Amino acid sequence: MLSGGLGGPAGHDAPRILIVDDDPNLLVLLADQLRADGYEIQTARDGEEALRRLRTAWPDLLIIDMMMPRMDGLSLAREIKGRADLPIIVLSAIDAGDSKADLLEEVAEDYVTKPYHYPELRARINRVLRRLGDKVPRQSLVLGPDLTLDLHRREATVGSEIVQLTPTESRLLYALAANLGQTVTTDTLLARGWAETEDADPSYVWVTMRRLRQKVEVDPNRPVHVQTVRGVGYRLVATDPGPGEPARG
Amino acid sequence: MAELEPRATVGDETPTLEDLTAEEPRGDAGVRFALGLSFRTRLTIALVAAAIIPLAAFGILVLILDPTASQTGTIGRVLLFILVVAATSGILLAYLLAADLTAPLRAIAAAVDRASAGDLSTPIVVPGEDELARLADSHNRLAADLERRNRELGRILQAIQSGSPHDSPEFIAGRAGTDARSAFGMIDAYVLLVDPAQIPEEERIPGESLPIRAVLRGGTEELGVLVGHLPATRLWERADQDLLELYASEVAVAIRNAELFARVESQNAQLLELDAAKDDFLRGVSHNLQTPLTSIRAYADQIGRDRPDKRLGIIAEQTDRLSRMVRQLLTVTRLDSGALHPRPEVVSLAHPTRRAWEALAAADVPFRLDDRAAGWLAVADVDQLDQVLWALLDNAVKYGQRTAVTVEISPEPDTRRVRLTISDEGPGVAEPDRARLFRRFERGADRTADDGSGLGLYVSRELCRAMDGDLVLEPHVAGRGASFSIYLPGEPPEDG
Repeated sequence: MLSGGLGGPAGHDAPRILIVDDDPNLLVLLADQLRADGYEIQTARDGEEALRRLRTAWPDLLIIDMMMPRMDGLSLAREIKGRADLPIIVLSAIDAGDSKADLLEEVAEDYVTKPYHYPELRARINRVLRRLGDKVPRQSLVLGPDLTLDLHRREATVGSEIVQLTPTESRLLYALAANLGQTVTTDTLLARGWAETEDADPSYVWVTMRRLRQKVEVDPNRPVHVQTVRGVGYRLVATDPGPGEPARG
Repeated sequence: MAELEPRATVGDETPTLEDLTAEEPRGDAGVRFALGLSFRTRLTIALVAAAIIPLAAFGILVLILDPTASQTGTIGRVLLFILVVAATSGILLAYLLAADLTAPLRAIAAAVDRASAGDLSTPIVVPGEDELARLADSHNRLAADLERRNRELGRILQAIQSGSPHDSPEFIAGRAGTDARSAFGMIDAYVLLVDPAQIPEEERIPGESLPIRAVLRGGTEELGVLVGHLPATRLWERADQDLLELYASEVAVAIRNAELFARVESQNAQLLELDAAKDDFLRGVSHNLQTPLTSIRAYADQIGRDRPDKRLGIIAEQTDRLSRMVRQLLTVTRLDSGALHPRPEVVSLAHPTRRAWEALAAADVPFRLDDRAAGWLAVADVDQLDQVLWALLDNAVKYGQRTAVTVEISPEPDTRRVRLTISDEGPGVAEPDRARLFRRFERGADRTADDGSGLGLYVSRELCRAMDGDLVLEPHVAGRGASFSIYLPGEPPEDG
């Protein structure tokens, strides 16, 4: 039932998801829907209960509402992210243009608005779960004198300038950074950047990578960090340290 | 020496000095007259004339009274010799005397030049007690006064510049008192922010400290009064009072600015509060409306999966419509407050178009999608694009009177854009409606009021523009229905 290569690490039977929402109807309904698709579901009615549950069991993914009594989604997301890089999907009735939603979007991996379309929510869950096992530094990733990535803030520092990355660009860079120096296939990037329901094709990857290069390369025509491996995929490369470093024979 | 009479005569000190400075606006050295002769030359000529004319007259008289003397020759030669010697020494003496007399005048003129160039610190030294010495004294005093007032003015300017609009009026008043005290060398000085009439004027008692005051005038308003005392020995002239009043009016302006600034600040804070309250309210509205819709929609979907029923499809579609309308209203308020941040990603327009069409559930309306994008992708916020497409397709179904709807997608490589045109085969847009169609709450004249909110086209166009694109109504073609085009930034295909 889990479509499209749910790439969890070996030993994971079913992905574990903790749903935090104050609407009991939704908790029951969404838990039913996800259980029917083979996920292992836990629920919490508010942020405090969620934090209590996190003490005993660590899920693979959290789905949290934004407006909840006692502790709102933003505080909960920050609290959790302060402890670990646990993926979070926000499921909220507040549309993405809201100022608070903006803040939450910066912390969370994805943002889905209510009323949700179940197949789409499931596709987004799967996309986030594909990054399980990836190790990307939580702090700045210095790739060379002219490029530093801060993927947890969706930022890149190019030269001395800070550029904002779109959610898709950050997802692609996350996948590339987790395999630094190695080629990541276009298909893998496609599965990491887009949900199945988005009907994306490889041209999305090509064009997005081209736009990304315009953003993060000092000279986009002679890319240093984001390299194309013709016919296969892409590779993120850290350059040698500055010219001051003595060469080793 | 009655010839010393012209303007240089030093009888009345001040006007003479004013004359001297007034005559030298270009800063030429020396005192010049209309003839072009210097005062020294004129004085020399006058002195020579005064010495030689009586002597010459005496000689001529002698020659007339004693005609023999002219014949003897000796007397004549002696006389001539005496005349020549007298004339020579007369000219020399006259020149020296004139030079001595005019030297202080030249010194004064040079000092005035220096003073007008800004050097007030070098006094003129003219010994003695005569008029020229007094003239030099008054110049020195004037220069000292000017220098003192310059210093005061400098301190005042410094005091005025050091203010910040964040200071409170009370703080400005307190500091203005301290600044006035140091700038004018007062014993004490206070700025009182009260009606000046409430503060009685102090009487001046000789030998005691000198009371001074200046009203803080801001325009026609009197904001307060500056009062203080000077040492009894201190001279306080009209110019000093003018300077103090100038300062007082600057303080008044600063206080007025501070009051205005404080008012603007508090209004800003109120607006921010209102804005936050509005955001909270909208968040609440959204949450409270969308949460039940979420359950209705999800249950309809779930039941429909177990026991397919057309009526459940209608529930799902109508819930979707309702939640979209809520969202549209929220989007309008976001557009108004400029709080809309699109997140542009690359997307092929065909897929979201098909999805928006499916969401409309208008199975009875013929639909054709003509995708000629040739690999071009649009750059758009997928969520907002969905709102736009849904609203336009909904309009096409509704106002096209359920005739066939056609969507055509094609790239415009020249402008690096992608165009998506939605057309119906209905009656089209009436001419008078074309101009006002994109306004808020506008519908076509013959459209019924219960059809939608009248916000769809307005919101759609604003969303397109927020994504660096546009939405336009295509020109009417006879026999065809309404036709709207979305233009969005495009990306050409890339070979992998």
